[in-house]
Amino acid sequence: MPKITIDNKEIECRAGVPVLQAALEAGWDVPHYCYHPGLSIVASCRLCLMEMMMPNPKTQELSWSPKLVPSCQTPVKDGLICRFGSDTVKHNQRVCMEFFLLNHPLDCPVCDQAGECYLQDYSYKFGNPTSRMVDQKLKNPKKDIGPRTLLYQDRCVMCSRCVRVTDEVSGTFELGIVNRGSRCEIDAFPGKPLDNPLQGNVVDVCPVGAMLDKDFLFKRRVWELRSTSSVCPKCATGCAIHVDHADNKVYRLKPRFNPKVNTWWMCDEGRFGFKYVHDKKRIVKPIVRRGMDHESPDWADVPDIVRFRFSELVKRDGAAKVAAVLSPFLSCEEAWLLCKFIRSLAPTAALVTGLIPYSGEDRKFPIGSNNGTTKFTILKEKCPNRRGIETILKAFGGTTLTFDEFCKKATTGEFSAAWITGGYPEPWVEKETAKIAEKIEFLVVQDIFENELCTGAGMIFPSCGWAEREGSFMNAAGVLQSFERAIAPPDGAKQDGQYLYDIAGYSGLYRATRIRELMSAEVPAMKELYVPPEMPAHAH
Amino acid sequence: MANFEPILLRNRGVTGSTSLKVYESRGGYRAVRKALKMTPDEVVEEVKKANLRGRGGAGFPAGMKWSFLPKDRTRTLLCVNADESEPPTFCNRVLMETDPHQLIEGTIIAAYATKSQIAYIYMRVEFHEQFHIVQRAIDEAYAAGYLGTKIFGTDYSLECYVHRGAGAYVCGEETGLIESLEGKRGWPRIKPPFPAVEGLFRRPTVVNNVETLSCVPHIIERGAAWFTGIGPPHSTGPKLFCISGPVKKPGCYESPMTISVRDLLEREDMGGGMLPGKRAKAVLPGGASMGIISANEFDMKMDFEDPRKFGLLGLGTAAAVVIDDSIDMRVVLRNMARFYGTESCGQCTQCREGTAWMHKMATRIAMGAGRVEDLDVMLQTARNMGMMPGLSICGLPDGATYPIETIIKKFRGELESAIRAQPAGRAKRVLSVLN
Repeated sequence: MPKITIDNKEIECRAGVPVLQAALEAGWDVPHYCYHPGLSIVASCRLCLMEMMMPNPKTQELSWSPKLVPSCQTPVKDGLICRFGSDTVKHNQRVCMEFFLLNHPLDCPVCDQAGECYLQDYSYKFGNPTSRMVDQKLKNPKKDIGPRTLLYQDRCVMCSRCVRVTDEVSGTFELGIVNRGSRCEIDAFPGKPLDNPLQGNVVDVCPVGAMLDKDFLFKRRVWELRSTSSVCPKCATGCAIHVDHADNKVYRLKPRFNPKVNTWWMCDEGRFGFKYVHDKKRIVKPIVRRGMDHESPDWADVPDIVRFRFSELVKRDGAAKVAAVLSPFLSCEEAWLLCKFIRSLAPTAALVTGLIPYSGEDRKFPIGSNNGTTKFTILKEKCPNRRGIETILKAFGGTTLTFDEFCKKATTGEFSAAWITGGYPEPWVEKETAKIAEKIEFLVVQDIFENELCTGAGMIFPSCGWAEREGSFMNAAGVLQSFERAIAPPDGAKQDGQYLYDIAGYSGLYRATRIRELMSAEVPAMKELYVPPEMPAHAH
Repeated sequence: MANFEPILLRNRGVTGSTSLKVYESRGGYRAVRKALKMTPDEVVEEVKKANLRGRGGAGFPAGMKWSFLPKDRTRTLLCVNADESEPPTFCNRVLMETDPHQLIEGTIIAAYATKSQIAYIYMRVEFHEQFHIVQRAIDEAYAAGYLGTKIFGTDYSLECYVHRGAGAYVCGEETGLIESLEGKRGWPRIKPPFPAVEGLFRRPTVVNNVETLSCVPHIIERGAAWFTGIGPPHSTGPKLFCISGPVKKPGCYESPMTISVRDLLEREDMGGGMLPGKRAKAVLPGGASMGIISANEFDMKMDFEDPRKFGLLGLGTAAAVVIDDSIDMRVVLRNMARFYGTESCGQCTQCREGTAWMHKMATRIAMGAGRVEDLDVMLQTARNMGMMPGLSICGLPDGATYPIETIIKKFRGELESAIRAQPAGRAKRVLSVLN
């Protein structure tokens, strides 16, 4: 670990990072726009300039460099001495902020970025309160740059981060810079709009309000949003994300730094794939069938009903006639609770890995990259927790089946009681599969939307969207990540973990951390929860 | 000194000077044959001894530049900077128009010295005729076996291409040139790595000016001692000087770097004095970027060191523009600001925004709607943009600020009185319309 000295304070830093990154991680607030740890270095915003001790070429004596050096471009080296606190450095920061605002429309009241805008923050911290510019401002145009993105060029600071994202992360090269000098504009090539599976990152990396997400545009002021750490459920990559929500509504998803999984990025499929959580057609109440009637029992009565029906059938047909299908959309904790419950009533019950949805092929980015150079992968496996479910089933042992095996057996009437979990955002029950409902005497269906199995189900549980639950997912690479509850389930519903907790015989409030403790005592693989390092807000 | 025998321009005026036959008949391609018998390091050493300073503007010693190349390199590339785009400069143009083979000979020697296999001549797009002249000369050299594989019967091979730019001032900056040559946007690169280590196509690269390379054959042929004998010790060798403006004989002249601005302006074999009725008020002595000198500073020597004493950035391209007293200094100021405002590449903040802002202020001042405080704001902006040592990736903002600063400092009285002579309230009225 190299040691460097910033403003007379010695710090230890990670090897191989620029001085800027080291300073940010050590708590210095160094303004910067063009630097992004996930992108190449262009050193063009000239905001992060610092003074550095350099040996005089003639006398080899150390002295402050006459020239300010970009800290983003200077790698840390043991013994490096630099300073950000000097008047020269501060003057440069003030000057830059004046330049950035010369042609800026100052339309913060109607700007989506206001509140999380680096131009605002830096102007307050490092800029001047007034402007000396009296001439007419240059008005660069507003552009519709792609199906999901708007570009307000007048707010742009020309950091070129967006261009580098399309060059280096997605590998699609849609964006470029046209014109010269202060008329420089970001633009897409004619007839080739910004449209790639990772284009949302362009909006994330924009430090100002130039790149705007049409989906979020004018929906909510960002200071009203609360951010909750979560994990994207859309594919087995399991990107770490922030769920930004207000008034029990999810407004947007943003990637969260996780060096082992998604680094700084996420795909659009995940980013805009949260809408089903707010679908009006969701199941929101538990339903019990009595003869031809359906009724909604009190949540308080549910554990007894379920336990009674299952034990009745176990007594009559034997424990092997019971099965539980664990959907890859369940969190590890929920799956563990369900297995625990089923196996406590029927010790030889079959445990089944739920249907694994696949779509298309794995997509690697930048396009055309191979294993060594891939920065981001969208997997064809469109569920977040197959690995987790499999790990838990392996730990429980006994009869474990795949979904196909289960269906085959169920159609021959091998099961008299089963608990099938769903939670898929898309319809997933095929006609053939639906037939098993007739063969199972007591079928519990736990799903987010009504499906074809529900007509024959003895009991239906509302499943919640992942943003309404807490727990952990294990991604395709075996990284276990926890996600927190962002919003409350709709009226009448309970989060899956809570009723499974009640049914499994525990009392009180379901807390994923508590279950994880219990679970990891039995399933050692569940001990290794990976928590990505916390990055200072402005370090990326 | 009046009868200084031209060296670089010795073939100017000779009929058919652009052809290989005439060039050889006047002693051409002797130096390259001599150089090819030396080792590359000996050639570098000779050029180093001659203290040949780059003629492109910065005055960096060429031999030194060549010796920065890593010793263990496998492929080296040579770029010839013929993107002469400094406003009043036309030395390279004259050299390529009159003596393209001299450039090619210099290029071959430099390529041999740096062990380059390919030489690219990056020519500004506005040089239409010059392009054809140089291309014809290259074709002739290929036909004669002076370029291509195993040139002059030795084991050394060199390919030479002319690449035409797309019309950007900043592509004359060496890393901007390299980017442009690679087919990218002409944005100067961040250094390090320096081009000598990682330049064009990520290979060690040397970039030299046309005039610099044109000097090389003469150094090899007549030796470093002869070269250092011309001019003062810090500014050796012959230099081309351009003069334009209301003088009797505007043009390109060759001389050792011992002359003063006054010599260039008034000597009979050079500018020949002002046109009747005109009086020189100021001179931009080294291209636009170096700054301005007023009439009482005309004794400034045109060498690499003296201009700094007069608040200028350097010798630059040694192309002088004479400004006579009928020209309003506000217009000069505006013209300077306009050039850099449109030519800033837009990469670094200070330069991108600063040049455009100064252009706006200078335009308003020239419109007759200036305020005295605008001059102060311009001066401060010039300084904020980072004057030597700069704050930006390349030197363009330094070049943009020197003319502004020197014009305002040296002609403040004239500018202020022009502003004060404006009709009362005009600045206010114009500004209220603008905003």
